[in-house]
Amino acid sequence: MALAARVAEPEPALAVQRVSRVFRTADGAVPALSDVSVGVAPGAFVSLVGPSGCGKSTLLRLLAGLDVPDDGEVLFEGVPITGPSLSRGMLFQDHRLLPWLSVADNIGLGLHKQGLDAEGRRHRVQELIDLVGLNGFERAYPYQLSGGMSQRAAIARSLAPRPRALLLDEPLGALDSLTRAKMQTELLRIWEHEGITMLLVTHDVEEAVYLSDRVVVMLPRPGRIAATVDIDLPRPRHRGDPGFARIKAEILGWLGADGL
Amino acid sequence: MASFAPRRRFDARGLVIPALIVAGWYVVSESGVGNGYVFVTYDRIWATFAAMVADGTLVASIVGTVLRMAAGFAIGAGFGLLLGLATGLSDLAGRVVSPTFHAVRQIAIFAWMPLLTAWLGIGGQTMIALIALGAFYPMVINVEAGCRNVPGPYLEVGRVLELSRWQTIRRIVLPAAAPAIFAGLELGLATAWLSTIGAEYFIAAGDGLGIILSASRMRGSMDGVIVGIVFIGLVGFAINRLLAVIARRAFAWRGEAAR
Ligand SMILES: Nc1ncnc2c1ncn2[C@@H]1O[C@H](COP(=O)(O)OP(=O)(O)O)[C@@H](O)[C@H]1O
Ligand SMILES: [Mg+2]
Repeated sequence: MALAARVAEPEPALAVQRVSRVFRTADGAVPALSDVSVGVAPGAFVSLVGPSGCGKSTLLRLLAGLDVPDDGEVLFEGVPITGPSLSRGMLFQDHRLLPWLSVADNIGLGLHKQGLDAEGRRHRVQELIDLVGLNGFERAYPYQLSGGMSQRAAIARSLAPRPRALLLDEPLGALDSLTRAKMQTELLRIWEHEGITMLLVTHDVEEAVYLSDRVVVMLPRPGRIAATVDIDLPRPRHRGDPGFARIKAEILGWLGADGL
Repeated sequence: MASFAPRRRFDARGLVIPALIVAGWYVVSESGVGNGYVFVTYDRIWATFAAMVADGTLVASIVGTVLRMAAGFAIGAGFGLLLGLATGLSDLAGRVVSPTFHAVRQIAIFAWMPLLTAWLGIGGQTMIALIALGAFYPMVINVEAGCRNVPGPYLEVGRVLELSRWQTIRRIVLPAAAPAIFAGLELGLATAWLSTIGAEYFIAAGDGLGIILSASRMRGSMDGVIVGIVFIGLVGFAINRLLAVIARRAFAWRGEAAR
């Protein structure tokens, strides 16, 4: 049984406990999240999948400290989250590079609390440029980058302050399938290299199964958790494996999309 | 910001209307069909132009106008920038200042003339004050709007990266507002230019292109008026081009598409 195996787990790095969030709009109240609980173990890679509108971004924004729940608690390493923090990086779907800063300046934007001098900052930025493979584009402006390169620059920017957790909101959603597959490998490499806790939002079930230790399936109206599926396939994974296909089918089943 | 539009290739069709006006003026002035006092011949305009060049009036007037405008613009735009930043960055400043500002703004610039001449006398200081007022209003409005309309997603980037308030202003708010601030400069320059000529025409102290207009009109010399008008147009055009070049350099980050 892959469903929420309750083995003894360490204290979660990221924890959402019985959280509800209702948006009041002109058309009435939208229950974006209703009694949602999620835990992400330190160093784990967890994905949230679900149709659009099921509250995935809302959940991530709560964990980023950009929003507050109406009910329940949101914790990082056991401490209630009261606002954004450099220890929790956030990667937005629309990369959000600042168009007036070069790639290097964008990446260096979050380095101001690292206690680095100018030389140290330059070094750290270069390290990240190497890590995401943007060599030669240090001085380019965002408008000169392709979608994939922009997302890599954004990943580098969110990694720069050495966050202990990274929240990723459909970072690969807008990329073509080839670039996407490459970026998935890249993400795994960074995760293994930096040992960061990852919480990834995606609507691509295959991507979730390929990358994660655990997949949390959400459903909309109201936004809630339908299932938690542990993925104990060995890494590196292969999309063609029978085990891979079985888990993918299981998740699609939870989404009510198994006929696809 | 229409004047930042891409430099179009020269198109001769744009010359049709100026050519028609020049030719029409020639026909009317030479044939004697029109009023000879108003439609002066090109010969007389040329002679007046040559005389103004020879006695140094023209150069002194251009220099006088440009310096006057530069002084008034610098004062008006400078204070406009400061007030716009204050009301754009601080809710408190906005709430305290904005109602008064928008009420006072309704007063036409030249309606200040009687008060200004009473305070500052009929001379250079009043002219500069009128020019400064012309630059001030558009600057305040654009700077404030630019600071207030920074896209929320960029501000969230600043929050996520724990930028301080000052860092947020310097790295996010001001760059995001820069195109609006520049539009304010451009608009301020345009109104300051109008104010410059108006102030010179009405107050007529010292040298200036507007002073050529009023002096020529008083002497009943339409040829002098035409020379003045032509140079007002030329100087205004030069100022505008200069600004467009500066904008192109300052906003390299917007890429080719946005220019
Ligand atoms: N700031 C907001 N104001 C009003 N409604 C919102 C706001 N943010 C999200 N919502 C609504 O909450 C629901 C969940 O949104 P979201 O978390 O963005 O979903 P997802 O990321 O899964 O697509 C949607 O119905 C959305 O319209
Ligand atoms: Mg979303």
